[in-house]
Amino acid sequence: MNPQIVPTHRKESLREDGMLFVRTEGILDTMVKLPLLVASMIIVAAVIPVQSSFSSPRVLDLIIYPDGTTHVSVEVNVDPLATDYELELFGSTIDNFVVVGENGFLLNTDVIGNSALIETFGSSVITIEYDIHDLVAKQGRIWTFSLNAPSDFTLLLPKNSAIVGMTNLPINMEIINDQNQLTLSVGDTEIDYLFSTTPVVTDPIISDTPTLQTDYFTYAIVGGIVAASIVGIVAIIRSKQKIVKPIQVQQSAKKIETVDAETIFKLKPDLREDDKEIVKFISNNGGQVLESELRKKFLQPRTTMWRAVKRLERNGVIEIEKKDLQNLVKLRKNMEEEE
Amino acid sequence: MKTIALFTIFVLISGVASTSLVNDAYAQNDPSILLRIATQADKQILNQLDRSYGDSIPSKIQTIYEKGHASVESLKNSLPDNIEQAREDFLSAMKSFKQITRMISEPVAESKLATSDVSDKDLKSKLNRLDKYFQSLKTASEKHNTGIDFSEIEQLFTQANQQIDSGETREATQTIQQLESSIHEIKKKIRENSSHSSSDRIKKFASKHLIKIQKILDRASSVDSEMPELEKANSLIQEIKTLISDDNISDAKKKFGELNKIVKTIKKSIHQ
Repeated sequence: MNPQIVPTHRKESLREDGMLFVRTEGILDTMVKLPLLVASMIIVAAVIPVQSSFSSPRVLDLIIYPDGTTHVSVEVNVDPLATDYELELFGSTIDNFVVVGENGFLLNTDVIGNSALIETFGSSVITIEYDIHDLVAKQGRIWTFSLNAPSDFTLLLPKNSAIVGMTNLPINMEIINDQNQLTLSVGDTEIDYLFSTTPVVTDPIISDTPTLQTDYFTYAIVGGIVAASIVGIVAIIRSKQKIVKPIQVQQSAKKIETVDAETIFKLKPDLREDDKEIVKFISNNGGQVLESELRKKFLQPRTTMWRAVKRLERNGVIEIEKKDLQNLVKLRKNMEEEE
Repeated sequence: MKTIALFTIFVLISGVASTSLVNDAYAQNDPSILLRIATQADKQILNQLDRSYGDSIPSKIQTIYEKGHASVESLKNSLPDNIEQAREDFLSAMKSFKQITRMISEPVAESKLATSDVSDKDLKSKLNRLDKYFQSLKTASEKHNTGIDFSEIEQLFTQANQQIDSGETREATQTIQQLESSIHEIKKKIRENSSHSSSDRIKKFASKHLIKIQKILDRASSVDSEMPELEKANSLIQEIKTLISDDNISDAKKKFGELNKIVKTIKKSIHQ
């Protein structure tokens, strides 16, 4: 006699014909709560870029002066629970080092060699500014800027300088006060330039079709995902046959009491023309607008708009508030009183 | 249900992929700038060659220049359709021009710039940088409500600018030195004036952080109450609390540093 060996844990699942049936219908319902799965996946997708941006510069702007000294301006996200933050500097010959927290408060720092220890104590965003003499070298008439950048950055070249050598591709170029400003990507960059006796400014940028196509493409992707997510969530809720609460329509931006644009221009006659346009737009939007909306409206890169907003903040025209990880730009209410 | 599952996977994939797509799209922004930079460089190199050699350009340099110029021409033809080729042409042209600049530069030893390098000193640049620094400090000072009067410094800036414009280099240098020391003093004053608000900020931060640390210690204690670091950490917490209530912020900060190191060790022990 040779009895057939049947694994005990399978015995019950076997039917008379010896076939193994596995019920696949509803397995997702049994094992996981689908809405939870969707929500958690969306959260994971949203959190990935936030985590990767921690401690890496979110804005890096460099200005080269005619004597080769470079002004560095960095904005970094830091851990608000940490007491301090160590920043690797681009060299050791540093001047005019200043760090401010997100509320504009001066933070204590200690610069040793190539690094700076900054007492952050609860700040989540810090802005570091300094001048450095290590990034530009001169040989004969040729000046060479070299940097291993930790992130994409902008570089404003001195007036009347002409680029005569470059090791990588620029992302963008703009003209700012008759100076060329390049946007360059992360990694090693080396740029040779010289000073010309004749004014050197490359043709002003006209919004080319490729740029616009790029923007529409990006918006289309983001918009598509958002729309698909909304449709999906609504479908899931309906499939559960629960009472769906009417979607609350967001009220249009609250009108806040602000100074109108013309009054601002009278109080601040030195404002740049492009800044005035921004002020007008904010004023027409009830006195507050998201920085991302400004970028969309004026078709400006993130760093350019950030600088403009910072400039307006320095001039006391606007104030910046954080709203859902975004910058909410508001016209200041008490400008007239201050003046 | 199958549709919903597929939809979920689609949302996840597109959510993760969108970030990389956005970056790639940004990297391809406006390829016509490549042509503008390369054409400008070509023109400048030609000027430099003309200035340095006139009609007798060394054949080696001539060959490299022709290669660079050919790449610029190819770049013109590649745009707007063949972006990949345009990129290659740009890099090739700029590489050639870079080679030429190295060759035509005077044989002076390459050196990093220093502020003491008188020949490269540019008073206007220095003054502009100081102004930028001053503006940052002024903004911070206003945030702290220090009430510091900046009129004297602003006057010095105007004076230095006038001196530079009228070619009074020595006087301008002296004014800039005066400005540097005044700004240094201002920074000190802001620090002194802002010490109250920063100590408030640190106190708030410390009390929040100490609660968090205490929770970690409680958890560690439930895992291993005999852990030698626990006693030290608890005593440091008490010390910090006392120091903060005595307004001794600088000592509290030092103790905080010590406490953080011990907490790191404890965390490691818990997770082992």
